[in-house]
Amino acid sequence: MTEFSPGLEGVVAAETAISEVDGANGRLIYRGGYLIEDLFPVTSFEEVAYLLWHGELPDKAKLDALRQQMSAARHLNSAAKGALMALDPATEPMDTLRTVVSAQGATKSAVKPNLEEAVSLTAIFPTIVGAAFRRRQGKEIVEPRDDLGHAANLLWMMDGEEPSPDRVAWVGSYLVLLADHGLNASTFAARVIASTGSDLTSAVVGAIGALKGAAHGGATFAARSMLDKVGSADNAEKWLTEAHARHERFSGFGHRVYRTYDPRAKILKEMAKTAAPELHRTASRTEEVALRILQEAHPERPNSVNVDFWASVVLTGAGIPKEMFTTLFAISRVSGWTAHVLEALSDLRIVRPASRWIGPEPGKKPLVVAKR
Amino acid sequence: MTGSAYVPGLEGIVAAQTEISMVDGANGRLVYRGYVIADLAEDMSFEEVAYLLWHGRLPTRAELDSLSLELGSNRALTPAATSTLNALPTDTDPMDVLRSVVSVQGVEHRLEKPTVALAMHATASFPTILASFRRRQLGLEPIKSRADLSHAANYLYMLNGKESSPELVRALDTYLVLLADHGMNASTFTARVIASTDSDLASCLVGAIGALKGPAHGGAPSAVMDQLEMIGTAGNAERWLRDARAKKIRFMGFGHRIYRTYDPRAKILKAMCLRLNPKFYELASKVEETALAILHEEHPERPQATNVEFYSAGVLQAIGLPKEYFPPTFAVARAAGWTAHVLEQSAHNRLIRPQSEYIGPEPRKPVPLGERG
Repeated sequence: MTEFSPGLEGVVAAETAISEVDGANGRLIYRGGYLIEDLFPVTSFEEVAYLLWHGELPDKAKLDALRQQMSAARHLNSAAKGALMALDPATEPMDTLRTVVSAQGATKSAVKPNLEEAVSLTAIFPTIVGAAFRRRQGKEIVEPRDDLGHAANLLWMMDGEEPSPDRVAWVGSYLVLLADHGLNASTFAARVIASTGSDLTSAVVGAIGALKGAAHGGATFAARSMLDKVGSADNAEKWLTEAHARHERFSGFGHRVYRTYDPRAKILKEMAKTAAPELHRTASRTEEVALRILQEAHPERPNSVNVDFWASVVLTGAGIPKEMFTTLFAISRVSGWTAHVLEALSDLRIVRPASRWIGPEPGKKPLVVAKR
Repeated sequence: MTGSAYVPGLEGIVAAQTEISMVDGANGRLVYRGYVIADLAEDMSFEEVAYLLWHGRLPTRAELDSLSLELGSNRALTPAATSTLNALPTDTDPMDVLRSVVSVQGVEHRLEKPTVALAMHATASFPTILASFRRRQLGLEPIKSRADLSHAANYLYMLNGKESSPELVRALDTYLVLLADHGMNASTFTARVIASTDSDLASCLVGAIGALKGPAHGGAPSAVMDQLEMIGTAGNAERWLRDARAKKIRFMGFGHRIYRTYDPRAKILKAMCLRLNPKFYELASKVEETALAILHEEHPERPQATNVEFYSAGVLQAIGLPKEYFPPTFAVARAAGWTAHVLEQSAHNRLIRPQSEYIGPEPRKPVPLGERG
């Protein structure tokens, strides 16, 4: 029996070729060996999803075929529609996503996870998120369009109008950047579920549940909420100093794996300049001050801004309200989740770790209720 | 990479500290909060054991009454959960129904921390979901839950529309007690991974249900039944099993990663089968004996043992459940353990975020779309 490492920190729980977080050098590598900064300027989300699923970038014909397959899979089945319409429109959007994905994937008998299903599941996420967003505002649901790409169709279903090329580019880049990230908690949850021989929908639904957590996908919302509280670049010094004195955690800082600048944060920060110039100023100043305070308080730690911080600024610039941030994260990461599950299939071994008993000495005899 | 060496399936890797249950594989003991399972199985109700798992001690009479009331008054589904249940095709796998409807039943407007109250409410709803769907499959009206019945009695009442005999209720109670928790199994671990992100209780449960659905986990009891049906009679056991072995077909209901001796739950369930389901027992005990002999011939070095799924099948059949309802009834029991583990994880939380070992190619540059192919 090994030592207990809380949070399995430093424990290798899978071998993978889907992505690698090289924390020491601040590099994120996607399948095939591509660095994220090389990939994002030249690829769409669909190309990256193809890469994660197949291990190589598609040529034009394969990309067209994938786009077509995804467009055709953008419609909810009747069970999913029933579940969607049954929910209170004010429901937390991640709960709507978790529920409707579960209903969409409910079947008579379990099917072994396969590529076609990975594509369909990935294709259906924007439809659910768009519908959840429309219902929250009391508006009619907008049907998907099969002539639009993944990012553009998402914005179309959210707003019911043709999105500007800029917004499509910002959302598209965000989706590329967040598509996979090693063995993060939601991906790990998906792999554990798949390890029992369960189906792809079950794995993805569990991953949605994990992503919802404030310490995972919910962090982008938290970062944005903090920027709201900071309010302006001029107020950053005052707000952060006071928050630190109150022992409040700075949202959007720190990461388990990166020991240096997160490469995705760097890219998003640059994009934020044009996507949300005003908020970029507030965020830059916030970053500067927060890092100084953290550095003074914990000089021994690698203090760094994380992807959530700058993603929250770019998504704001793209017109996405913060309540929807985690669902956007899910729209991207489902490509990674499904790729990991498909990879794990080749060597299925149930993930069943050990635990250390810290309870009472076994063998005490229970009393019947009357004598307690 | 700073991590330790990769261990497939995290076998032997300590992923949590827990006071909830311990699987003492070497000695064939399962311990809940200090009590050995054999001391709890025959007399305790599911409610008492759920209380034990949640609070760390057995309830007093007043505490038990209050828990029973809390469970009894939280059995109804929300309108959204009912509508979702009715929107699913009637031939849907009940595990998918459970996963979807638990998800709806637990929806919230903002993120809530898991609490014992939420644990009780979620646990209370599982039988209602399954019984309502079962009735729907049969073209029957759903039965309203009864707050005056125990968890086990009410489940059977809602399935059948009438009260079951005390003997069957006791059998279900024993089954639920036996299956309520089992260390860091895959579904419980899933629930803890999800809880570690500070997510909500329903998300943890939905993930755990998804994991339990897998044939290597909770999906196995129905596979045991399938195999016994194929064997047909005790007289056919030897021939069928030898043929199956030659064809490399796995024997269902045997082997466990942790137990190196007889699973204590299997022992209790086996005795129950003899009493409640003699026909099943006659076939199953012969199949067990033969299968163990064959497995031992092949791998004398391995500890071969019957696992909990094997005799679970006979008990659940005796209770009147169709085999598609074996895995979700497992979930009815394990809901107590899952929620207890989520509460424990939340109380001492650290994000579960392991490492992976990259086995892909070295970094290289992407080729633009126009130049590929």
